[in-house]
Amino acid sequence: MVSELKEDLQSLLNNITIGIHNSKTISELENIRINSLGKKGSVTLYLRNIRDYDIEIKKEIGSYLNDIKNQINKLILDKKNFFKKEHLNEKLKLEKIDISLTPYEAEIGTLHPLSRTIEELCAIFADMGFSIVDGPDIESDYYNFTALNIPEEHPARQEHDTFYFQPDINGQRKVLRTHTSPVQIRTMEKIDLKNFNEIRYIIPGRTYRSDHDATHSPMFHQCEGLVLGKNINMGHLKGCLIEFCRTYFNEDNLPVRFRPSYFPFTEPSAEVDIGCKKENDGSLVIGEGEEWLEILGSGMVHPRVLQGVGIDPSKYQGFAFGMGLERLTMLKYGIPDLRPFYDSDLRWLKHYGFIPVDNPSLHSGLNGVFS
Amino acid sequence: MKFTWKWLLDHLETDRNLSEIIETLPKIGLEVSSVVNLAENLKSFVSVEIIDVKKHPNADKLNVCKVFDGKNTFNVVCGAPNVKLGMKSVFANIGTFIPGLNLKLKKGKIRGEESFGMLCSEKELTLSENHNGIIELESSSELGLSVSDIMDLNDPIIEIEITPNRGDCLGVRGIARDLAAAGQGNLKDLEVDFNDGEFDSIINWHVDLDEDEKYLCPKIFGRSFTNLKNDESPLWLKNRLLAVDQRPISSIVDITNYIMIDIGRPLHAYDIGKIKGTTLKVSKSKKGDKFSALNGNTYELDDNMLVISDEHSVDDLAGIMGGQRTGVTENTTRMFLEAAIFDPVSIANTGRELNLHSDARYRFERGLDYNSPEIAMHYAAAMVNKICGGKISKIVNFKLEQQQRIIKFDPDTVYQLTGVKIENELSKSILENLGFKIVSIENIWDITPPSWRPDIDGIADIVEEIIRINGYEKIPSIKLTRSNYIAKPAMSIKHRQAFFASRILASRGYNEVITFSFLNKTMADQFNGGEFALNLVNPISSELTDMRPSIIPNLLLAAQKNVNIGAQDLSFFEVGPIFKGDSPNEQISTITGIRYGDKIKKDWKKEAVQFDFYDIKLDVIKALDAIGVPKNSLKVFQDAPDYFHPGRSAVFKIGKNIIANFGEIHPEIGDTFGLNKSAIVFEIFYENIPLPKRNKISRPMLKISNLQTVTREFAFLIDAEIESEKVCQIAKSVNKDLITDVIILDVYKGEKIPQNKKSIAIKVTIQPIQETLTDTALEELSANLINAIDKKLFGSLREI
Repeated sequence: MVSELKEDLQSLLNNITIGIHNSKTISELENIRINSLGKKGSVTLYLRNIRDYDIEIKKEIGSYLNDIKNQINKLILDKKNFFKKEHLNEKLKLEKIDISLTPYEAEIGTLHPLSRTIEELCAIFADMGFSIVDGPDIESDYYNFTALNIPEEHPARQEHDTFYFQPDINGQRKVLRTHTSPVQIRTMEKIDLKNFNEIRYIIPGRTYRSDHDATHSPMFHQCEGLVLGKNINMGHLKGCLIEFCRTYFNEDNLPVRFRPSYFPFTEPSAEVDIGCKKENDGSLVIGEGEEWLEILGSGMVHPRVLQGVGIDPSKYQGFAFGMGLERLTMLKYGIPDLRPFYDSDLRWLKHYGFIPVDNPSLHSGLNGVFS
Repeated sequence: MKFTWKWLLDHLETDRNLSEIIETLPKIGLEVSSVVNLAENLKSFVSVEIIDVKKHPNADKLNVCKVFDGKNTFNVVCGAPNVKLGMKSVFANIGTFIPGLNLKLKKGKIRGEESFGMLCSEKELTLSENHNGIIELESSSELGLSVSDIMDLNDPIIEIEITPNRGDCLGVRGIARDLAAAGQGNLKDLEVDFNDGEFDSIINWHVDLDEDEKYLCPKIFGRSFTNLKNDESPLWLKNRLLAVDQRPISSIVDITNYIMIDIGRPLHAYDIGKIKGTTLKVSKSKKGDKFSALNGNTYELDDNMLVISDEHSVDDLAGIMGGQRTGVTENTTRMFLEAAIFDPVSIANTGRELNLHSDARYRFERGLDYNSPEIAMHYAAAMVNKICGGKISKIVNFKLEQQQRIIKFDPDTVYQLTGVKIENELSKSILENLGFKIVSIENIWDITPPSWRPDIDGIADIVEEIIRINGYEKIPSIKLTRSNYIAKPAMSIKHRQAFFASRILASRGYNEVITFSFLNKTMADQFNGGEFALNLVNPISSELTDMRPSIIPNLLLAAQKNVNIGAQDLSFFEVGPIFKGDSPNEQISTITGIRYGDKIKKDWKKEAVQFDFYDIKLDVIKALDAIGVPKNSLKVFQDAPDYFHPGRSAVFKIGKNIIANFGEIHPEIGDTFGLNKSAIVFEIFYENIPLPKRNKISRPMLKISNLQTVTREFAFLIDAEIESEKVCQIAKSVNKDLITDVIILDVYKGEKIPQNKKSIAIKVTIQPIQETLTDTALEELSANLINAIDKKLFGSLREI
């Protein structure tokens, strides 16, 4: 009796399993569920009928039937999940987009190569304990020339191609500073000698000369440097500028040459050259090579300049230097021409400019991600 | 300063070769700018004789010549006016590179006549600018020889840059002297035949200066020459002068130029026959004096210029240029030669005022060897005598004794100033080799600089002389160690503000530009500048005459330039100065920007959106925020300068300080720059930002609530004139603790809204702090908000 019933039930289960397996839609599956487990379903009917059996058989068949019911429920749930998954996959397929497209977005802006150079200089000299100061572009004759030991009749004045303003009622005419050196005077004037030990300044800024051709611009940029203290000598000048050149050009073994020169406001004076190689196409490669390239002027601050600002040259001495920033920028970044620096040509700015997150510093490198 | 290798060897006895000398020169402060050997380009130019000259059948000005190089005969068409039969000249065969024309000769037919080469001028050989005819060689020249041998051109030409302090090296001898001191050989003695002269000078000096002004002409020498023949100079002399860019003129002039280059001593020659009277007077000019100079120009003189005159008038601007009237010509037979020392300051001032440049002025300004006039009198006399013949007179002169210059020098200074240890004996011998005289008294040296170094006037100069010859490479390289170990920002606050703002702007799409600080007068006026004090006397062009009162015009120009070459959307900014006056505090640093064109470009995904007022407002807010100005500290006003669109511009202020102007540029101004879309600009006056009293590094503690925020939306009807932002401010003020944000969702005017009114929809974010807000509490908050708007703005709630 029991085994017969079990056999019947087994074959019923088999049929239902096949039905579930073969079902193609959610509604077909639902019909199978109703036909088996619904109120009048085949399995439900069996469950109802076992009331008539002995308690022993009832127990055994009852638990068997429950098993079957659970199995069918699980099969239906699995199949339902299968249908859901299948449906989702269908939907996802339809949602496919064209990954080759890119929407247009305005590019991130750029910083000017000259600003970049100024920031690199700030980073390098800050590491050597320098501060950055500035001064006015419109200067008096005194600061631009006289205080720098360049009196009216000095031949060096003629080499400056100075821009003059209209004379005032006293006949005094101001000038556009021809170099950043007047700021040396302005900073030294501010020294309080009672509490003075040492100063180190760099002074980047705009400078002007009335000269306009392929290699000269009426406005250009210089960076001045000034170190003044009790025991600063020309050896420090050399050490400081060699370190600067090598750091700026990112060349550990960059040859740096100092040779005698003349500036009215320094004595002794030195012109600083760096080594380079001329390639066959005429371009220059900074580093070890046959050629020398002049990049900055320097010297010990002239005693007369110190006296002029009330500093006793027998107690204090120091050095000063000056360099053209366009030239430094062109050399480092391979920019061939000077004029486009001020032309605001968007194509040039994008090509030679720097992204704003590339922040030149000694810890993150002066030369971008791969420096 | 140009000289030739052989010329240098006239003064320097050395076993060094050219490249060793070239290497040494910059090390002692004489920078070499070029070394050229003309002979290298002139190898294939040969000497020929013109053996036939016929008129070209088809061209009046051309001749068809036959030239003979000793072996072959060539047909050449020649257009030179000086071509003549039997003349010897310089010939270039087909295939020769002509340096002066920068081309390679090809066989050619000139108006039907074949030409197999070219007869050359000096210009074609780059010997000089002379292109008046072909070169005429000495009739004795051998044929078929290289022209560089015949003309003695195989002599490298060296050009060095002389710094203004080294007037002594404006003569070949000075350069040789410096090289000798640097151990590169020995200075040869100057060969001077001292000749006292046979007769009294025809011309005499009269120095007509007050005693206290005699320093203007402390020394002047002269002597007369008679029976001269002032022909063309010998070839060697002409070649030397040509090599150093001096045009040969006549023997006498060439000799004076030669001596100027040779020993750095300018001389002047007068034709005695043209001098009125027998005295030349040195004096100061009177305003209105006229002077016709040798360069063909007439100058009107001012008071107090140093001049030399005869009984007739001024005919020499002392130390600068001689006069036309008394100058020598090829007919001169009697000549008076002048060698003087004039005050460099006086020469410089006169030269500058008259804008008159000359080789003599260049040398006088830089200071001459005080002993050179005497030597020059003898040195030149011998040369004149050799080349022009004739007789030499005695010397006439005026001279003041030179004041002794003695510099007290402690040799330890060398180490103190330069860090190089040099034995005193070595320092001493370096100085002595340079011509310095030293008397040592108890370790202090009394140093007398040589007469040719008027630039030496102090201790530092002497140190430089010693280390220059000792070698700059021997200066040690000493590390400049940091003196303070707390790294302070090297940049001032102002620099840092510009630095931060630049980065924000660039990351918002702006490209940084750098433009000129000057612009034209029209633009300066347009932007409320153009003051007289900011106007340049000598601008480089009429477009760059005035200091800019604003960077906006520069940026409009930049936009115009880019639009003209096809750019459509632009964002530029510049950090730089503007000028309100000529004193330092009237120079103001600003950050100025421009946006032009589309903010969003149309593509497959989006529709185009143009930049407008609100975009630039955001840029300004973001930039200011980055440099320490919170948005809520700014007050906005509608009184931007008149170069802005009056309705679409604004000003941010803190107190009375203007922090920024921004908005659309006035359409009239946009038009003058040819911009057809509206340019949106801003200018941030970051120096006006008040600095915090105390720099707080630590942050206030952050209070975060874990309770969920609630949002409520409202719409109000308010007067159209009311600034919409007011609604936000009032809404926020209702409960500053709970209301964390108010956003304007919509501003609407039009249908269903009464005229003169607008509808403003806002979304209020409420952040409960301690406990979730009950419905009642929320209702109360809403009611308060509605009340506040009603009370303060007479706004009524509108159904959304």
